[in-house]
Amino acid sequence: MNLLFSASLILLTLGAYLATRRIFLAYRHPLLNPVFLSTVVIISLMKLTGYSWDDYQPAKEVMTFLLGPATVALALPLYHNRSLLRRHAPTVLAGVAAGSLTTMAAALVAGRLFSLGDTLLLSLGPKSVTVPIAVEISRLCGGEAPLTAAFVVATGMLGSILGPGALSLLRVKHPMARGLALGTVSHGQGTAVALMESETAGAMSGVAMALAAVFTALVAPYYLPLFLR
Amino acid sequence: MTKTAFNISWQVLLLWLVFRLGTFLVALLHLSLPGNVAGMLIMFLLLASGAVKPSLIEEGGGFLLKHFAFFFIPISVGLMTFGDLMRQSGAVLLLVLTVSALVGVAATGVSVELLQGRSSR
Repeated sequence: MNLLFSASLILLTLGAYLATRRIFLAYRHPLLNPVFLSTVVIISLMKLTGYSWDDYQPAKEVMTFLLGPATVALALPLYHNRSLLRRHAPTVLAGVAAGSLTTMAAALVAGRLFSLGDTLLLSLGPKSVTVPIAVEISRLCGGEAPLTAAFVVATGMLGSILGPGALSLLRVKHPMARGLALGTVSHGQGTAVALMESETAGAMSGVAMALAAVFTALVAPYYLPLFLR
Repeated sequence: MTKTAFNISWQVLLLWLVFRLGTFLVALLHLSLPGNVAGMLIMFLLLASGAVKPSLIEEGGGFLLKHFAFFFIPISVGLMTFGDLMRQSGAVLLLVLTVSALVGVAATGVSVELLQGRSSR
């Protein structure tokens, strides 16, 4: 019975993903983000039928089993863009470091202004990094993994919706600069938008996403506590 | 079709082994680095050094990356446990997230644009 129940939740999640992915690919509007839409659909259905997160959790464990290997696969885009990376290494590193450090600082400073608690602040810290890595960083730093995951998804959407407009407003025109900015702050979702702008922007965004993940993982445990009481 | 499925399966298994190796090394060396990042770095070194040809993992890795977004759905369903928090500080959190995303985008965008402008002149 429980096995059957989990299996149907997996089918529901898979179905929601495939359907919303089709919708997104057809219209390519940032608000039609498949992760966002699927999550809304699944949570609504669970709430309506009176189920809780505890009921969903076994299915989640099964579905996220491949997240580790998927993250390892991020080495592929990094490898394919290695010449671009080598040619512009100092600029790329400076850009990714600037974006990662300021976005973390801004989140913690703004959060403190609104007197959010330490756990919440630490969960906000790694939110610009792709989910599997952000979750691990959050755990290492004392945040709440599910909260961080939610913040990452929200940041991915905010950055990919508002980012391109903000960059144009600031007269950032170089595809490399636009790609790096979107990938550093909005990881995979930013990369999806950068890919639609140009190939260079997309490649750079993919590189930025991987580098921001490594950089944030390395500095966050020492950097985030600086912004706590 | 079956050949593709077979290739994807064993290549994903290979990526999973590298992931486990990363997790193992991080624990062994007491590194403050997530195991999956370590795995990614190991994979990159294997590719960059030529020890592993990209074609060895391209099908499985490509499949996982293509559907990367899928994995975020079950994780963000966990949001349903934060109903109270969202009612309480949802607006503040949205503001904090928006401000920090814009600050980060501006910092990277402007600094790279300046550095690029300087080097191409």
